[in-house]
Amino acid sequence: MAATPRSEARAGLKLISPTAIYVILLLAVPLATVLVYSVMTGGRANVSLPLTFDNYAQLGTKWVYGYILLKSLLIALSVTAITVLLAYPVAYFVSFHIKPERKSLWLFLITIPFWTSYIIRVSLWFVIIGKDGLLDSSLMSLGIMDQPLNLASYGIPSIILVLAHAYAPFAVLPIFVSLEKVDRSLLEAGQDLGESRWITFLRVTLPLSMPGVIASSLIVFIPTVGDYVTPKLVGDGKQPLIANFIETQLLKLQDFPQGSAFAVVSMLMVAIVSIGFVFLNKRFIGGQK
Amino acid sequence: MTTSDDRPTMIEFKDVHKYYGDYHALRGINGTIKAGEFFSLLGPSGCGKTTLLRTIAGFEDISSGVIMIDGKDMATVAANARPTNMVFQSYAIFPHMTVAENVGFGLRKDPRSKEEKAKAVAEALEMVGLKGYGNRAAHALSGGQRQRVALARALILKPKVLLLDEPLSALDKKMREHMQVELIKLQRQVGITFILVTHDQEEALVMSDRIAVMFEGEIAQLDDPETLYRRPANKKVANFIGTMNFIPAEILSETGDKVEIEAKGLGRVALDIAQAPVPTGEAPVVGLRPETLTLLYDDQKAAERETEGLIDEVIYLGDMTYYDVYLGGTDVEVRLSMRNVPGRPVLDVGAKVRVAWSPSALVLFR
Repeated sequence: MAATPRSEARAGLKLISPTAIYVILLLAVPLATVLVYSVMTGGRANVSLPLTFDNYAQLGTKWVYGYILLKSLLIALSVTAITVLLAYPVAYFVSFHIKPERKSLWLFLITIPFWTSYIIRVSLWFVIIGKDGLLDSSLMSLGIMDQPLNLASYGIPSIILVLAHAYAPFAVLPIFVSLEKVDRSLLEAGQDLGESRWITFLRVTLPLSMPGVIASSLIVFIPTVGDYVTPKLVGDGKQPLIANFIETQLLKLQDFPQGSAFAVVSMLMVAIVSIGFVFLNKRFIGGQK
Repeated sequence: MTTSDDRPTMIEFKDVHKYYGDYHALRGINGTIKAGEFFSLLGPSGCGKTTLLRTIAGFEDISSGVIMIDGKDMATVAANARPTNMVFQSYAIFPHMTVAENVGFGLRKDPRSKEEKAKAVAEALEMVGLKGYGNRAAHALSGGQRQRVALARALILKPKVLLLDEPLSALDKKMREHMQVELIKLQRQVGITFILVTHDQEEALVMSDRIAVMFEGEIAQLDDPETLYRRPANKKVANFIGTMNFIPAEILSETGDKVEIEAKGLGRVALDIAQAPVPTGEAPVVGLRPETLTLLYDDQKAAERETEGLIDEVIYLGDMTYYDVYLGGTDVEVRLSMRNVPGRPVLDVGAKVRVAWSPSALVLFR
């Protein structure tokens, strides 16, 4: 026998080492740095011993920290709900009503918004809903309104709108995949057993596509919680979210420990919500092969 | 086998046509299926048998014609309102539900109480031999068990007609033979009409009261298994069901209820007109099943007719031996089968033999 378990393990390690080095340097080291910084004593632009939990305790003292966390969470959840609710019918339509040979064309068309940089897309939303934008000027020239709406100045709704649009294709794809996997004879069986199309959808298609819905939710939720660009550009930057707040702490105030502690807390928050989603997913996937 | 003639009609087809675009899938289906009958739709793939089954279930619209179930025209009745239930080829077991939830799926609108429904589910599971399986996850079942769940799920709704779309094709041979017998028993027990789609002629012969043999969207013959086997309506049916030898023949005379022919290697034979199905205009041949030919040993005498033969090939199967034999010094080769019973040694290639046959076993295709 040429390969003992140990030499096999060594060969395996060698094979994965480039990837491992990449992961360690770019993911594990920064993460560890943030974790360590968050329990150190802060000064301007430096950190020092002793280790302390003061930074975390600080977060509990000012209402603005909690407010920003909660606001970010609620915005992300609203974006997730809106995106997934709008993506489901699109995915359903492509999966059930488009001829198989046309499906990839449709999916391709759905990804077209990705061909433009996100920053440009956000700026274009500005052109549409911003001050004297397309929406306002057309409404006013049509005589429907005499004052500009200036939607972009309503920070939170416009942030939700822009984010929901940006993540729509991400949400369509997982739902589409899970709908594609639904055996069509199950739907015939549902009708054969006396149910209408709608009830069959509720009792068969929807539960079977839940893994896709949950995957979509995660895919939209996780990046939107930490989104930095949108609140900066939309709503005149008056509605800072978690990421903007961390940026202020770390780069402007250069309070590394405080910013790190805030980052860790928000990471935990995302983790808790995501684990909730994963458990939901297990419930549905657990019943299937 | 019970006679089907005295039973009331359950399903009636009147000139049913189905087109998929230009493709003519069903080409004028006529016929009736009786109440309580075990009926099979038999044919090669693409012959329209599954399409016909799906038009009964209501999954396919028909292009023209009428389908009546229990005296009612089904034209405007949706699949979920028809008195039929289907066992799908894939079984279509809902993977996100338990066995009991699958079986009870169709009981949502049933006015009975929860306890009564649970009892009905338990009874249905017991009927198909899955007692106590209710809480199992559906995805953890074997192929045979999935099929039983599909059966219970359909039968619990007490349909007038149970539709079975190649239900045994996914099972291995042993299991398939076992389920054939179970399905027959189950059908006798519940007494409802079963319609089975199959491409397996043996399965159809074993299970059915009557069989419709389909080719290219048409019913080629609709008969009970024995008639189908002994008196196939044409060469195609004869070829599809079992093995049949075809021997070129010449029609000498046809008078009233007798047809006299000269079959190559067999000589002159007088046939009853019942042995000659409706002519199709082809060159005349006579058909002869392998088991109707017998090799004569030693001083055995033929009961009716006998012919000289020369063994060309011997296929030994253990319980049986197939012999390919040239008949009467001609180039006409027939296959015959002999059971290997004591006193009947297996003969060798090249042996000269005598072959006994009976004129009444012949079928004339012309």
